[in-house]
Amino acid sequence: MNHVLSIGYRLALCAILLFIALPIFVVVLASVSPTAAVSLQPSEWTFAWYGKLWVARWIDPFYLSVKVAALVAVLSGALGFLAAYAVAYEKCPGHNFVMPFLLSPLSVPQIVKGVAIVLFLSSAGLYQLLGWPGLIAGHVVLTLPFTTRMIATSMFNFNHSLDRAARNLGASRWQRVRFVLFPLVKPGLFSGMTLAFIISFNDVPLSLFLVRPGQTTLPITVINFFEYSLDPILAAVNVSSLIFILAAIVAFEKLGGFSAQIHGGSK
Amino acid sequence: MSAIDIELVAVNKSYSGSRIVRDVNLAIPKGEFVSILGPSGCGKTTTLNMIAGFLEPTSGTIRIRGRDQTGVLPEKRNIGLVFQNYALFPHMTVAENVGFGLRMQGRSRQEIADGVGRALKSARLEGYEARYPKELSGGQQQRVALARAIAPRPSVLLLDEPLSNLDLKLREAMRIELKEIQQQLGMTFLYVTHDQEEAMAMSDRVVVMSEGIVAQEGPPVDIYQRPNTSFVADFIGRSNILPVASVGGEGQLVRLNMGDGRPSLLAESRNGVSCDQIRYCCIRPEAIQLGDEISAHGHANVLDGTIAKAVNLGAYIDLWVSVGAQLTLKASIASIRAQDAAPGARIRLSVAPERIQVLAA
Repeated sequence: MNHVLSIGYRLALCAILLFIALPIFVVVLASVSPTAAVSLQPSEWTFAWYGKLWVARWIDPFYLSVKVAALVAVLSGALGFLAAYAVAYEKCPGHNFVMPFLLSPLSVPQIVKGVAIVLFLSSAGLYQLLGWPGLIAGHVVLTLPFTTRMIATSMFNFNHSLDRAARNLGASRWQRVRFVLFPLVKPGLFSGMTLAFIISFNDVPLSLFLVRPGQTTLPITVINFFEYSLDPILAAVNVSSLIFILAAIVAFEKLGGFSAQIHGGSK
Repeated sequence: MSAIDIELVAVNKSYSGSRIVRDVNLAIPKGEFVSILGPSGCGKTTTLNMIAGFLEPTSGTIRIRGRDQTGVLPEKRNIGLVFQNYALFPHMTVAENVGFGLRMQGRSRQEIADGVGRALKSARLEGYEARYPKELSGGQQQRVALARAIAPRPSVLLLDEPLSNLDLKLREAMRIELKEIQQQLGMTFLYVTHDQEEAMAMSDRVVVMSEGIVAQEGPPVDIYQRPNTSFVADFIGRSNILPVASVGGEGQLVRLNMGDGRPSLLAESRNGVSCDQIRYCCIRPEAIQLGDEISAHGHANVLDGTIAKAVNLGAYIDLWVSVGAQLTLKASIASIRAQDAAPGARIRLSVAPERIQVLAA
């Protein structure tokens, strides 16, 4: 009976994993197919589409996306750290209200946020901020709840007697943050920054409102292209950004991210 | 007269109206091992936190080496503190933990290495420098916490129930070791505990706290042999605490009447409780002797009773003896002298007057 259960369990697991991964396989297959029709014949497969990516049409949006995502990750991480420090660590007056407020952008649909930002910028005469400055500002607003929440969680779990111990050993406030708090919440910070990077890099609904001609992110470029062509080059773009995101996650992790959090902080 | 390292003058601490610490006065001379002993909630940890600077007294003054500490931040006090849960930095190795205080003082690499080496040697932890706290046993973590606290050479070391998370055997071994380390370093130790045996075993002086006040203060032997309140007598060691209805006689030798048909006792008061303050008296079980052992001291209390219960503990037999209907005394008698003690047997007991302590409320 147990044996049957365990086989059933494994089959279910495989089915779920397949369900998650199948779209990716299809995209990968599409990217090596010679035409818009997905080819299952290895002999027909070609990497020609990848070769066509090295043109300004794709490279420029990619660079913009990377620049925006990197800056958003840093800014959102820094602001999220400060917010979490005040709310979760120092428990500033009214922290019970500040935290929901900081998380409130989550409850506003991205389309609404986008419209609001565009309306605000145009009524304030700051229309020229559309493009990368607007993208960065908008994406920071978009990702801040995630980074704040992740860093706050690691700060809530922080053992305050460590802070007292450091204080007793003569550490100033700055030294306590630098040598005790920061290393111990770093996994949370890096997870939050990774998430901010991915959200920013992949974002469509909000970015739609914030891009301007000549300053377009990669996903928006894909959507624009998609409107008049079903070229396999889109699949090649998507596979490339998928590989890039995976590489970014691995890089963040190497800097002290997720696995340290999973294994309990210090390695 | 040695210098006073820690001095508390009329220190009070209130939280939202309730006074946790009331009018505590303490003077701890340099190099002494002093324990604050009391049940949980008696204000001992609050007192410790005020000395460490984590709490400000509501009123009163704390001086460390003669300097008023009002408004001095904890990080500026140069007081070591060993936490109950050790509070070791999990992301640092043993050496980094122990060197943290010296590093915060801005010492050179060499000075830090030397200080860490010395502290680890004192705590008998050589060879563990590169380990992380979670790779150590509870006892080893405790030693790291101790080494970390003494490495910056603080003037005073505070210890907040540091042994309470260890098992009994380790705890007993660490008691002896802590005392040795304290004597080697010549450092003033203020040790907070609810464990009377710990306090007795290590301290030069014990301060018993109850409900925010200092109930009694003195060398461990004095506290045990001459408690002056029923709380202290009850909290420390085992005792028979008997109510005193009225007091007769003058001077040192007094007659204590318990009323209700209970016998009266002669007591020689030496703990400074005056006649009109006497509410209880205390007889330690081991102060009660079998009748035929009466030592002629001029006066003696002789009591006849019936054994209600006898528990043989090997070296000693614990007897519960009914003396009349209203009084049962616990007595602890060497087994060899009470071999035929059995429930129901008649027995004669005696207590020397100087072994009966009169107690204020």
